[in-house]
Amino acid sequence: MAHALTALEESEARALKVHIQTCADCRLQMDHWRESAALLAFETRPLEPSAQLRARILQDLETASNLEKKTESLKANRTAASNVIELPRVSRRSWTSLQTWGPIAAALVFVALILSLAVLWKQNNTAKQELGRLSNQIHETEQQLAREREAIAILTTPGARMAELSGTSSAPSAHAMLAYDKNGRAILMAKGLPLAPAGKAYQLWFIAGGQPIPGKVFSAAASGEGALYDQIPSVALNNAVFAITLEPESGVRAPTGAILLRSGS
Amino acid sequence: MQSEQAQPSDVQLLHAIARRDEVALGSLYDRYRLILFGLLARILSNREEAEDVLQEVFVQVWRRAADFDERRGRPFTWLITLARSRGIDRLRLLGARQRLAVSAAQDASEEISDAVNDTFQSEQREIVARALAGLPEEQRRTLLLAYFEGLTQSEIAKKLDTPLGTVKTRMRSGMIKLRELLGEKMKSFR
Repeated sequence: MAHALTALEESEARALKVHIQTCADCRLQMDHWRESAALLAFETRPLEPSAQLRARILQDLETASNLEKKTESLKANRTAASNVIELPRVSRRSWTSLQTWGPIAAALVFVALILSLAVLWKQNNTAKQELGRLSNQIHETEQQLAREREAIAILTTPGARMAELSGTSSAPSAHAMLAYDKNGRAILMAKGLPLAPAGKAYQLWFIAGGQPIPGKVFSAAASGEGALYDQIPSVALNNAVFAITLEPESGVRAPTGAILLRSGS
Repeated sequence: MQSEQAQPSDVQLLHAIARRDEVALGSLYDRYRLILFGLLARILSNREEAEDVLQEVFVQVWRRAADFDERRGRPFTWLITLARSRGIDRLRLLGARQRLAVSAAQDASEEISDAVNDTFQSEQREIVARALAGLPEEQRRTLLLAYFEGLTQSEIAKKLDTPLGTVKTRMRSGMIKLRELLGEKMKSFR
């Protein structure tokens, strides 16, 4: 009843508004009380507005129609048709013109904000991707640096040696360096390796006396770079040939694939 | 002159307005301008402000006619509720201290139209006036303060220096009594 006269306190009106959204009985009751309250308008004397007002209103319609076209898509999101008119509350202190144009402006601002958010979201995603890419690059660089330090450490020990592996006709752009000390501690750094097919990996071989001794398997990055720490068998420390083939990723005891890189004999 | 029966109903006019029929909006304006303007002039006590709000109301009707749902009430109620809501908004904006008692709004009885429609509404005014007269003074005053000044129950309690519970009881009793007094006559209202 008090709501029909908009005499409820703001918190009460808000609670009622929520309630009637789900209570058909109360909604019906409120509609009935609003009918009664509206009759109080007959308590006033009818007055004639100025003769120009009618023309002014009709003139306004054109402006309103133009604005409607602009906000047509926004209107589609409105809730189902309803006779419930937003009634005034104590806290509402707005210029009445704003009540006419305010919702339109607010909707446009809202759309602009959404678009801005979408752009920012996209930019944020791009930045995140770039950050991820740079992080990976840094990580790879750090690993590369660590390997080079390891290689330097190996090469600076007495009796250390380095073998160069060149790509065969199966991988002409591939190239690798194998650094190892007198104890067989070795590090392999390869470049220009083709991306290994799924289930396949590169395997290092130590060929001594014509017999291939299996080394470890490793994979190559998309950049074609690959690295491997291994232990060269003592029998292969002198006068051995180092080779790389493409094998099943679990590695094999005897080579099955063609030699992609090999050192000089 | 068209007969009463030949005139489109309020619902038909609103449907036509929803289809962007300006003539229909003009007809609705002609039909309700007197009571709506009288209501707004009563709320605002200012003719210019009342006209400004009435203009906004009909632009709002133009924009929201498609929202009207006849299952939830009559067009009359929809229009009155919309106009009162806008009027109270403007009243609060202006503030009580800025309200001007414009005599033009108070003494405009000579401007009252003598159209058939107005005669019809005049009868309705008498019915409502009799019903209000049948209410105890404190109940009537409570209802009118809420309706025309847009005061909440607590604001009315403060204004009348009356306990809030008493105001709530008066408002409830007043509305029930008013409805009883209007009774079957309500059906004759537009």
